[in-house]
Amino acid sequence: MASFGGVFWALAIVGRLVQLQVGQYDDLQAIAERQHNRTVKSAAKRGDIVDRHGRVLAMSAEADTIYAVSGEIAKADREAWIVATVTKVCAALRDCTAEERRTLVERMGRLPAFAFVRRLADRAQAARVRALNLKGIGFMPESRRFYPNGTLAAHVLGYVGTEHHGLGGIEHTYNRLIEGQSGITLVQSDAKGMVFSREEQPPTTGASLELTIDTYLQHLAERELRAGVLASRAAGGSAIVMNPRTGEILAMANEPTFDPNGYRQASEIERRNRAVQDLFEPGSTFKIVTASAALQEKVVPIDEAIDVSGGRIKIGNRVVHDDHRYNVLSFADVIVNSSNVGAIKIGFRLGTERLSEYVQRYGFGRPTSPDFPSESPGIVWDSAKWTESALASVSMGYQVGVTPLQMVTAASAVATGGELMEPRVIGAVYRDQLRYPVPPKVARRVIDVDTAATLTGIMEGVVERGTAKSAQIPGYVVAGKTGTAAKLVDGRYSKQDYNASFVGFVPSRNPALAIIVVVDSPRAGTYYGGTVSAPIFRRIAEAALRHLGVPPTLNPAPAVLVARETPAPPKVEVQPTVATGPAPTADVMPDVAGLSARDAVRTLVQHGLTPRLIGDGFVIGQTPQAGTALHAGADCRLVLGRLHARREPESTARP
Amino acid sequence: MFERRLYYHIDWALLFAILALCAMGVLMIFSATAATPATSRMYVTQSYAIVLGLVAMVVTLSVDYRAFTDKSHLLYIWLLGALLYVVFFGDVQMGARRWIPIGSLNLQPSEFAKVGVALVLAKYFGENRGIPSWPDLAVAGVLTAIPLGLIAKEPDLGTAVTLVPVFMAVAYLAGIQTRILGFLVAALLVAAPVAWQFALKDYQKTRISTFLDPSQDAKGAGYQQIQARITVGSGGLQGKGFRQGTQGQLRFLPVAHNDFIFSVLAEERGFVGVVVALALYLFVIVRTLEAARLAKDRLGSYLVIGVLASFTFQVIYNITMSAGLAPVKGLTLPLMSYGGSSMIATLAAFGLVLNVRMRRFTN
Repeated sequence: MASFGGVFWALAIVGRLVQLQVGQYDDLQAIAERQHNRTVKSAAKRGDIVDRHGRVLAMSAEADTIYAVSGEIAKADREAWIVATVTKVCAALRDCTAEERRTLVERMGRLPAFAFVRRLADRAQAARVRALNLKGIGFMPESRRFYPNGTLAAHVLGYVGTEHHGLGGIEHTYNRLIEGQSGITLVQSDAKGMVFSREEQPPTTGASLELTIDTYLQHLAERELRAGVLASRAAGGSAIVMNPRTGEILAMANEPTFDPNGYRQASEIERRNRAVQDLFEPGSTFKIVTASAALQEKVVPIDEAIDVSGGRIKIGNRVVHDDHRYNVLSFADVIVNSSNVGAIKIGFRLGTERLSEYVQRYGFGRPTSPDFPSESPGIVWDSAKWTESALASVSMGYQVGVTPLQMVTAASAVATGGELMEPRVIGAVYRDQLRYPVPPKVARRVIDVDTAATLTGIMEGVVERGTAKSAQIPGYVVAGKTGTAAKLVDGRYSKQDYNASFVGFVPSRNPALAIIVVVDSPRAGTYYGGTVSAPIFRRIAEAALRHLGVPPTLNPAPAVLVARETPAPPKVEVQPTVATGPAPTADVMPDVAGLSARDAVRTLVQHGLTPRLIGDGFVIGQTPQAGTALHAGADCRLVLGRLHARREPESTARP
Repeated sequence: MFERRLYYHIDWALLFAILALCAMGVLMIFSATAATPATSRMYVTQSYAIVLGLVAMVVTLSVDYRAFTDKSHLLYIWLLGALLYVVFFGDVQMGARRWIPIGSLNLQPSEFAKVGVALVLAKYFGENRGIPSWPDLAVAGVLTAIPLGLIAKEPDLGTAVTLVPVFMAVAYLAGIQTRILGFLVAALLVAAPVAWQFALKDYQKTRISTFLDPSQDAKGAGYQQIQARITVGSGGLQGKGFRQGTQGQLRFLPVAHNDFIFSVLAEERGFVGVVVALALYLFVIVRTLEAARLAKDRLGSYLVIGVLASFTFQVIYNITMSAGLAPVKGLTLPLMSYGGSSMIATLAAFGLVLNVRMRRFTN
């Protein structure tokens, strides 16, 4: 009986062990792990973002984060240690507030004891704290984001928050790719909170991105857009330069803009990427869609004369006027002279079904690119709900909401003979020192090559003899279309605020560039697309053609003149940037002469400086001079140039 | 005194199992304590205790057990003296007065009380031919109750309670009527709530009530039980490996080297290690039962059963508790837990068991 009881008991124990060690193993194991392990993440160094020629647009510089592990100190001495350490560290940091001291003492007293003392301290501060060689104080490298060109391409790039998370633009879209793998500091402590091991697994750097942006063209587009917006006293504007053959965005400019180095000071309006986020009613530029449909569906013979009834048409009880009165216009001239009445009549001949189909095919009403997740899809009404009046409106570019990016993509489709390319801004990804290019992607064919050619001819007419004569560029044939659309203000079409736009491509028969310029509410007298936006287009296109070395269409100039120049040094007019280095430091200016721009900036950022760059290449001059004492936010300039091997004449005499 | 032929009758298998358990114990104590400087020498102390215990075992083995039982009244008086001394002059550690300091050693007389009571009861019932009468039981009861009371006074309720099974087992074997045994069990059951009310201290009450619901006091009294469960469960099938246990070594599990040595074993050696230890204990128990059956006289079997009763009681309770199936009580696991007095006393007691078995053919 006794042995029976013993066996029964043994079986019960074995059963219990199976229950705990097999059944609940995972749970209990996890609990045991949690009890003694604490992991602290340190963000990886973000990958760089460079333009299509490798020029740095965004980079990360390393900075030290200081932390404290009070569990390494015996319990009895802990109180005293915390007070002493906080005093010493704050003395070394030199910029602790009383509030900071108090929270620090409190945080360090908590168990399990791991506390950040200072995140992203600048180099001088970290060095001073390190020199103290304090017990229980550790350092881990974290990275700080830096945009050496200030506002350049700000909306495309976006910006990065304190938690190393991209918050806008490419930084946000490809955050997973760029951010890399965070490092882990594993802190193990026992039941009494004593820390016995601290292991650090260093972070791995994220992938670098090569954008399709050309720094020079970007700068050009921004400069010309800003000048145009200022001259027309407009509320803002956007310009996009695209390679129509590949869908690559070469430049994307918005006004107003911001500096991602100090994104916190920028307003939400400044941070908006209008080129992909803001909708506008395109007006006449949308007649490209109407004309495409009419030509492709052959509803109107190209040479048919259309009665535009003196520039006046009545739809129900609504009357639409033309700005310029004609009685009869050829189909081509309806577009060339941007006749609303003509467009409406063509639209009526097409009917709702067919017009709506082409609106869809051109990509309106849905996002165009995966590179811009915040892109607005636009507004296109369901064709079943189109009334006669709506059909009339859509025909001339009203009652649809489009983004500048959608419009320039549509124009690019005409330029390339009818194939719609997916617009993109990522040229290649660099990972593990390998380059993975992103191939161009054809979204779909919109119209036939013949239709595209005919339409191109008509759009050439717009620039040659129509509404956009100011877009003419000597030596090149430009195709384009103007648009001047009254803005909806409080539900009524404004008589004062217009969106003036011009979209075009050049050279028209062998297109290298497709460009859209949209100016929001020009207030300096004129508000037409042809007078406000077309000149901006011309200035951007002219310089861009020269920069890219595109041969002229007519009277080809001697080869010497068209030979591609070394890209002119981008004269980056960097706005005074907000110094990101926080602290006053008794630091001295390092000597950065001869370093590459990237290395120089990296060095200076660690000293809390935000240098301005003049020229490109290597550092040939610097202010302040090396060895000068620095103060926070000191003005710093670097003059860059191509270094030539300078060699002193050898004076060694032969023995 | 020690005839050569007796050597061949020593139960080597039992001895081997006992030594295997001792070795496992030392390894686990080393693993659980070596990381902490204050306790890092415990495994050495335990090894010394095992050596001393083996010396004691040789003594208890060599001399005929009847010589011990003959002198058991003297041993008993010595024992009471030691216990009395402890109650008044003993060394206080962790709120209890349990130790007599002798040089660098601390002697815990209560551990020896188990053998002492087994000897004296064996003698008492062995000389008393026939079925024990009420007065016989009463005398035996008093003989048990005196040391029990003294130990409980220290206080060391866990050790005190281990004397009860000694009395019950020997009395049962001596032929006590089932009716009386039933009465005694009933009396104990009735006494339990009374003891709850008057005899138990507050900390003892909380231990029992938190056993029923450990989460009601996760940081206090329920803590040990929760941690024991985590420790055992996180070992899994294979265990975390020697010196790899986090629960025991990082002191999440309190008194890991002592009361919860079995949980440490479960953590580091996993299910496999635990089953091996369990099998060894069962083997020791079954083999000892056999020794009682084979004994040439009643005296011998009473003695073996008396020793076995407290041993088995402690093993069962400790393992059940380590597996989280019984309230946490300061009961050690004999042969494995850290504790010099317990080790010496236990090995000496098994010396008596071997003694009885090997002298089964002599007169």
